[in-house]
Amino acid sequence: MSIFTAIRPSAKNPPERVDQRATNVPTVTPLVDVFENANEILLWADVPGATREGVEVHVDKGQLTLAARRAAVTQADARLTPLEIEQRRYDYHRVFTVPTGIDAAKIEAELTAGVLKVRLPKSESLRPRKIDVKVG
Amino acid sequence: MDRVWDDYEPVAPDVGIFATSDWPRVNVYDAGQSLVLSADVPGVAEKDFNITLTPDGLTLSGERKTTVPEGYSAQRQERPAARFTRSWTLPYKVDADRTTATLKDGVLTITLAKAADAQPRQITVRAQA
Repeated sequence: MSIFTAIRPSAKNPPERVDQRATNVPTVTPLVDVFENANEILLWADVPGATREGVEVHVDKGQLTLAARRAAVTQADARLTPLEIEQRRYDYHRVFTVPTGIDAAKIEAELTAGVLKVRLPKSESLRPRKIDVKVG
Repeated sequence: MDRVWDDYEPVAPDVGIFATSDWPRVNVYDAGQSLVLSADVPGVAEKDFNITLTPDGLTLSGERKTTVPEGYSAQRQERPAARFTRSWTLPYKVDADRTTATLKDGVLTITLAKAADAQPRQITVRAQA
């Protein structure tokens, strides 16, 4: 049985939304998958259109915040006439509660094909270890 | 491994932007010389798309696979696995040879060059003597 409390989305985003900015671009909650093994937690978020420069991942007081800004979309280009618009411009923002026992200094993130992949390593003390039984 | 599933808040996939029934979301623009279609397809590889152009339509199909990485257990899976097909009737004739599709940052952009006779043309007004 795991004594490790799962990472989970915070019920509410904090009032001071990260960089919710001078622009009027709305933010949406990116969908995520969360995976876990004995050593780490992986969090994968769909952020199509986000570029590396526009992505922010930070951990503070047990909260992991993902924020990603989409690259300027083509509709901003005056030469283009929209014919069918199913999605307006928006940015991404989501906050998660991170369980204790994550080594915050070792969190890594990469952006691949519009998917933000965050790796949260567990601290040594939470990893399973085999205890040798000494013969007395 | 036991887990306290009750711990989770319900998933609220916001304003339906990611509803699987119409995944992926697509925008279509007229760019004068061409027609531009852009689709949000995070996590789909180039080889998993199938784009077919017929004289009067365009079909985009493909598959997004979502798999649990080996050796991990899934705690939460919101990202949809999707097999999708979407078709459009094109408002103009297009030149199939000059149609391109590029994939960048999880966005697929299909650019269809308008056929010569579908391109906008300037008409010069001549003054009559």
